[in-house]
Amino acid sequence: MRAVLGRRNVAVLGLALLGAMLALLMLRLGPGPSPADAASHREAPLIANDPPADITDFYMFRSTQAGHANKVDLIMDVIPFEEPSGGPNYYNFDPSVLYAFHVDNNKDGRAGDVTFELRFTSEIRGAVDSLGLPLAYVGGVPPATGSVIPPITSLDSPGLGLRQHYTLTMVKDGQRTEIAPMTDKIAVPSNVGPRTMPNYDGLAAQGMYDLGGGIKVFAGQRDDPFYIDLGAAFDTLNLRSPATDMISGFNVNTIALEVPASLLTRDHGSPTTTSQPVLGAYASTSRPRVTIRGKNRHDHGGWVQVQRLANPLVNELIIGTKDKDRWNSQEPQQESQFLDYYENPRLALAMSLVFGAPVPATPRHDLEGALLKYGPTDPRYSELLRLNVSSAPGASWPNGRRPTDDVVDTALQVVGGPAFAGVGDGVNANDKVIPNVFPFEASPWDGRNRVHVNP
Amino acid sequence: MGTVAVLAAAVSLLGGALRGSHARSALAAPPPSSAPALAREFATGDTAAVVAGLQQRLRQNPRDAAGWALLGFAYQQRARETGDPSYYPRSEGTLRRSLRLSPDNAVALGGLGSLALSRHRFREALVLGRRALRLQPSARSYGVVGDALLELGRYDRAFAAFDTMAQLKPNVSSYARISYARELLGRPQAAIAAMRLALDAAADQPEATAWTHVQLGKLYWSVGNVRAAGAQYARALAAFPGYPYAYDGLALVQASRGHLRAAIALETRAVDAIPLPQFVGQLGDLYRARGQVAPARRQYALIGAIQRLLVANGVRTDLETALFQVDHGIRLGQALTLARRARAARPSIDGDDVLAWALARNGRCDVALGYSRRALRLGTLDALKLFHRGMIERCLGRTASGDAVLRRALALNPHFSLLWAPVARQALR
Repeated sequence: MRAVLGRRNVAVLGLALLGAMLALLMLRLGPGPSPADAASHREAPLIANDPPADITDFYMFRSTQAGHANKVDLIMDVIPFEEPSGGPNYYNFDPSVLYAFHVDNNKDGRAGDVTFELRFTSEIRGAVDSLGLPLAYVGGVPPATGSVIPPITSLDSPGLGLRQHYTLTMVKDGQRTEIAPMTDKIAVPSNVGPRTMPNYDGLAAQGMYDLGGGIKVFAGQRDDPFYIDLGAAFDTLNLRSPATDMISGFNVNTIALEVPASLLTRDHGSPTTTSQPVLGAYASTSRPRVTIRGKNRHDHGGWVQVQRLANPLVNELIIGTKDKDRWNSQEPQQESQFLDYYENPRLALAMSLVFGAPVPATPRHDLEGALLKYGPTDPRYSELLRLNVSSAPGASWPNGRRPTDDVVDTALQVVGGPAFAGVGDGVNANDKVIPNVFPFEASPWDGRNRVHVNP
Repeated sequence: MGTVAVLAAAVSLLGGALRGSHARSALAAPPPSSAPALAREFATGDTAAVVAGLQQRLRQNPRDAAGWALLGFAYQQRARETGDPSYYPRSEGTLRRSLRLSPDNAVALGGLGSLALSRHRFREALVLGRRALRLQPSARSYGVVGDALLELGRYDRAFAAFDTMAQLKPNVSSYARISYARELLGRPQAAIAAMRLALDAAADQPEATAWTHVQLGKLYWSVGNVRAAGAQYARALAAFPGYPYAYDGLALVQASRGHLRAAIALETRAVDAIPLPQFVGQLGDLYRARGQVAPARRQYALIGAIQRLLVANGVRTDLETALFQVDHGIRLGQALTLARRARAARPSIDGDDVLAWALARNGRCDVALGYSRRALRLGTLDALKLFHRGMIERCLGRTASGDAVLRRALALNPHFSLLWAPVARQALR
């Protein structure tokens, strides 16, 4: 393998590397003090990860569940790499984050035609520890200890010391409709282990709500359905077979929503009757917009989008480090300002270097077509995940996206071009079988018995 | 440029590319572990391993600009973990080397900017931050620029930078800055509200959570809510065991309840973890409050040594040294010279306040008053600054207005200073 490089390419790669590594280092560079920190000069945290607002994946597809072919599912996963044993507080949605799905149903690239918003609140109940801090989850304390706490078998069990409620609001044609009021929808807690939660699947099932009108919602922990041989990719794309799913054994927090397709389509048609079957969509997380001289309470001045996710890997593969903050804060229909990244993808350059195989010449208008346009004649650029709801339910990305879709292989092939047909990372399925029923993600690993191996 | 560099770059590019969050964790320590687990590793001194790994990599390829920049950041992190300022010159050397290899390098520039902030070289930090900002309009760059402007007393511009930062990326870093600015403007409740948003945004990151709890504790403390402050410090320790800033805060809580022995034990734990000058000085003050003169003197003497060590490593400590000397009646004339120099380098409300206090303690109360007015020009509700103002007014014979300000200081926070709160009460008797 030989690669002939110009100096400029080396510089470009070097800087890209810097960005990637910096992300890692910043994880460690927490908000420490500095030796000379005076009382007056206050050093705010150097960086902040934001796991509860970090969307790992977004899925949208025509339901593959038997009898649900007229439904569309919207799913977002947040909080990367949840270690199942990560007590005592485990993993929660963030009460100050607005979680939202946005749908464009008239192909104008503006995903404001139908929006679903979720907000969470945390309820502290029950036992506290010696510091007066609440114990998140206890259960199965035997009578012999004198303080009987039954196992957590219900979302009302007393052992649920921390419980999250949520609202689901639909915004359509300027009308806000609260589909699920705050009082009775409860997020399913993390899977602590079999003593505390002896029947986790039964517990989780209580958090899968049928809201009537063909709408279902679930918020809670699941197995991370994403799969990739990350270690092999790092080892100079040293791909292998059989490969290892490096994300095996980790969980995510999931928000899953199933609605009739007719709720989303412009003409209220079903997958078989609509005359406008193509939808575009993305998921977003936002935090309160505050200004120094603004109001002090939560009656703040709206929201700032912290992250958006439509097509997988765009943020990571396409957009350059220096523009990531801004990219995330922009709306999908403002994508034309980032066209350079699509026309000169860094991944293609890296692939040609590593494999010595040719990649398509730049500028790459094929990527723009695949990711940013509804069709060859679409004059606008909007980074949306597109789904033709009239397609058979078994389609795959980029026609919608299902948790089963092998997006890593697809991305490598698309970005690499014809010379990379058939290339892949060798991991072709999730470690846990992905169920073909709502919420289409497997039960999470439990904290006591989790494993990170995938033979 | 060798093949190794190219491959390393390509691979890291891919890794960083394939999935931001997953890649971060995987880069850190195969097999990948969770973000909280990684953050916990930080506490176990794992940064030392990061440093060793980077050094090894750079021995193989000394032209790796990215590696040098990373090593520069890692050295800064080591300084934070250990309190050893000799990491600063090392950080500077590696960051500059990175910049020579790759001049348009916002990461290295930003690193030099944050290094300059840590060394209290705010004008330098401003220049570096602005250069980084031109290359990369990121929230981080706005943070460096805003921090520098703030310490240079250019508040309107600083606040604009912070507002832009929070607009670009609301997270624990930007919310914390909004909170600080609100505190400076005399809006403690609004500052607390913003810091609570920071706390939510720090979820799952133990050290960031601890830091934010401590900031909230200090805010509650500043308005005299001792109970709420104590609860926040306790939460910081629960989130991140051993966090020295939490011990430091709890020491003051205990002292305010008259439990000086417990306070000394807590402050000693903070000093043992990281011997920061402010921890050592507070320990000395606690001994003094308990009438233990010799141990107090030992702590005070230690501060001089720590300050010299900081100066030798490029840190400007004029303002802190001046305040310490003025507070403790040490070489007042020299302290005034230091305060003047510090205020020139750092014309913030803190520079104004320390100079005012130094002038007053040197008998120059007429000149001091103007600086004290400037120190309070933002309307900051800072009991110590109010105390300085009250004493200056009294010194000028304006007893009634001076006493009114002293009463305000004590009403705001009856425990604002181990040294001076009793003096304020005495004066009002």
